[in-house]
Amino acid sequence: MPNENVIEFQDVSKAFGDNVILDGVSFAIPRGQTTAIIGHSGAGKSVILKHIVGLLKPDKGRVMVMGCDMASAPLNEIYATRKRMGMLFQNGALFESMSVAENVAFPLTQHRKDMSAEERAERVATVLQQVELPGFQERSVVGLSGGQRKRVGLARAIIASPEVVLFDEPNSGLDPVTSEAIDELTLHLQRLLHITFVIISHDIVGTLKVADRVGMLYQGKLIEYDEVSRFIRTENPIVNAFLKRNVQLPSGGLPAIEEFVGESS
Amino acid sequence: MNPLNWLRSLGQFTYFCMTFFRTGLTRRPPEGEVFKEAYNIGVRSLPILMIIAAFVGTNLTLQGHHAFEPIGGQNLVGMFVGLAGVRELAPIIAAAMVAAKAGTEMASQVAVMRSREQIDALEVMGVNSYWYLITPRFLGILLVMPVLTTLAIYGMLASAYAVAVFQLGLNGPEFIEFVFNVTEIRDLLIGNIKALFFGAVICLVCCYHGYHSDPGPKGVGSATNRAVVTAAVACVMLNYLISEIAYA
Repeated sequence: MPNENVIEFQDVSKAFGDNVILDGVSFAIPRGQTTAIIGHSGAGKSVILKHIVGLLKPDKGRVMVMGCDMASAPLNEIYATRKRMGMLFQNGALFESMSVAENVAFPLTQHRKDMSAEERAERVATVLQQVELPGFQERSVVGLSGGQRKRVGLARAIIASPEVVLFDEPNSGLDPVTSEAIDELTLHLQRLLHITFVIISHDIVGTLKVADRVGMLYQGKLIEYDEVSRFIRTENPIVNAFLKRNVQLPSGGLPAIEEFVGESS
Repeated sequence: MNPLNWLRSLGQFTYFCMTFFRTGLTRRPPEGEVFKEAYNIGVRSLPILMIIAAFVGTNLTLQGHHAFEPIGGQNLVGMFVGLAGVRELAPIIAAAMVAAKAGTEMASQVAVMRSREQIDALEVMGVNSYWYLITPRFLGILLVMPVLTTLAIYGMLASAYAVAVFQLGLNGPEFIEFVFNVTEIRDLLIGNIKALFFGAVICLVCCYHGYHSDPGPKGVGSATNRAVVTAAVACVMLNYLISEIAYA
């Protein structure tokens, strides 16, 4: 089902105290495509990811992931849904006490008791090859560079053949060359694996290169969400400003959403 | 501390414990991790515990001798050591040392994992973080706490005997006889029951503070600090409660 939506946000709102992070956000992520959500720091991008994996629950609305309501489903159903996903964390979230191979194989050692150690090792070698880190199995994760940590994190995210892979700021903390290499790798993996990628980023250049669809979060609302070709031709001034990377902020801070909502819709 | 914040923390801790008992103890713990934790907790806490227990024993004897000598009751020192040391001090000293050594380590390890998103990573990979992180520590500490408490009791009695006999010149067999006149196997059992409760409290309190720590080095530091203080206070209060129930 090529047009099936794998993730759906239905009128989702979330606030921490008085700070409204998401305000009636609705969108759907189609299966097999790369969807990116962009926005400035603190816009609520990571909150969207945490809702997808069920680490946060919405104050209002529903988050449906592969048919599971992540806010109200029983814990075992949520864990079952999470096993069908992989996630690359901002800093890798690797376990320092383990080697690269142990980190990468972690989802298999936890959930695939039917696999032998040899099969696991073979699978680890394959995914390390896919993320362009062949022969890194016995290395300690402590000495890895930022880019290498991301690749190991990515290998761990895809090792169990998930249906959805989530990327939390895949380019953050990387130099431009490494950042571009990660973008290329993301693109290559999407073509190779044909699975759904969801990328949260503030790096507009990399995002436009790898994504099929892009959405922009601004002051708790998704002010634009469309295919890349249409997204870059939007007339929404905030999106345009973000695209040009020359947002002119008034001295009072970010302009109010009301100034733009009419223009964007 | 604001009473509302205190109540909120208490509620959050209760929820944490309920979640742990509901999800962390319903299946076999991660392979090999319980004995690894038990070994870590036991071995790392044992040397310092034995030193402290030994010197508590020496001081109990000196103070007991100082108190009873004017009334001609030097021989009651053994009874004093038996009552105060075996029944009360040894279990609480063992708890304090385990909280200081293993408890702080638990809190800081879990807090660092929280800070580095490793706990989120576990959850996202479909691994229950309570089961993976807390269950081995909980079962490990329950395994070693009675052993550590028993060793603390014997270490304390040995040092008390040494001071009583070799420094104060008291009669050795009489000292031992007075110790065993007031202490029974039941006291050792109660000490071990206390140890189990203390171990559970130390583990849950320390893991809770690590689990709910703020990000960054400051968050890790303050979580560790809060963990050890809370665990120590909780153990002292619990000690009174159990003694009241057992000996009242």
